[in-house]
Amino acid sequence: MILNHQTLPANGNINPYAFCIDVTGEMLIRKGKMIAYYGSLRFEALGAGPFEVLVNEVLNSPLQARNFVVVTGRGKLILGDRGHNLASYDLEDGSLTIRSENVLGFQPSLACHESIIPGYLTLLGTGSFVASSNGPVHFLEPPVKVDEDALLGWADMPAPSYRYDYNYVRGALRTVGALVKGWGTGEEKQLDFSGNGTVLIQASERGVQR
Amino acid sequence: MTHFRLESSRLLEVELRNERVMTRAGAMVAYDGQIKFEKSILGGEGLFGALKRRVGGEGFDLMTTSGTGRVYIAQNAAEILLVPLQNEKIFIESSSLLAFDDGMRSNTVFAGLRGASSGQGLFTTTVEGTGNVAAISDGTAILLEVTPSEPLFVDPDAFIGFKGNIRQEFVFDVNWKTMIGQSSGESYQLKFTGQGLVYIQPSERR
Repeated sequence: MILNHQTLPANGNINPYAFCIDVTGEMLIRKGKMIAYYGSLRFEALGAGPFEVLVNEVLNSPLQARNFVVVTGRGKLILGDRGHNLASYDLEDGSLTIRSENVLGFQPSLACHESIIPGYLTLLGTGSFVASSNGPVHFLEPPVKVDEDALLGWADMPAPSYRYDYNYVRGALRTVGALVKGWGTGEEKQLDFSGNGTVLIQASERGVQR
Repeated sequence: MTHFRLESSRLLEVELRNERVMTRAGAMVAYDGQIKFEKSILGGEGLFGALKRRVGGEGFDLMTTSGTGRVYIAQNAAEILLVPLQNEKIFIESSSLLAFDDGMRSNTVFAGLRGASSGQGLFTTTVEGTGNVAAISDGTAILLEVTPSEPLFVDPDAFIGFKGNIRQEFVFDVNWKTMIGQSSGESYQLKFTGQGLVYIQPSERR
């Protein structure tokens, strides 16, 4: 199927691994995730010049400001992320915390804050964002315990706590083993979710890697 | 013209009837029949072509697959893109090239400044003639049309190839912020103008 500027979807998936955004105003995208575009678009680093206001109001995190750029102009922008699955999500006066490296782009109507869990971002407000996952996203209802590497994020619920399986590390030797990496099953540490909301996971344990 | 068929989106089946195809060395996963695999030292481009390839950093090893039977070809479970050519020429990144008909001519051409910064060599590969070309794509490949009124910009790391009457330019989007280390990460782009088709992958080579 041959696509061009007109036939590219406006804010939709081209295939499971590529997403097309119809840029009309401003959009924040993760650095280096643009794979192609039609039209006249400009990519500006955050935190300099006219976009200082955006950093202050939208991206309330100096750490993340280095990872995102502002796209301005009009055109169709195609995003891709290492061949991972891409999808867009809408937030309506909501709160969603998501692994920061999986956030590929979001509208400036959403406020982006650094989560208390390292490596995660919290998006607040109304707007849409594009995120990637290794395999399609699955939604779970709490109470649930999740492997750290499979976790993508959680919505409208309190932050999780760590939970350790100490049941099986009863002996002194095994306790040492559980603390030293490489012993045990590798599943002794989980994230425990409770309360109301939705947990987002991917069917993969490909952890944070760059 | 040899018979190329996608057994699945990640596995290419080539049926040979006393014919030859050029494939990336080591890409054969299975075969049936009387098939011979020979390392093609010169890459079918003669001594000068092989030398140019080596010097230009378009280094990839080709093998000649010949005989009668069926050969299955795949690379790292990447998706495969089939491009049938009718007396046309395709410009393709050597790292994306998987297989092509032996009757076609391949060459190494100067690609301009692009390769120097993206680390993909200063040269690019062309395949010309009538037959099939198979390319690998990390994720399903996207075919984008370029018309005189609609130029296309592509990230060099996502670029696979193009065909048609297209002019390829290397554009810098560099301003003073790039100089002080606040680059937008999208400072180097490929601009395609003219009339034709561009192939890209939804992933960025590392």
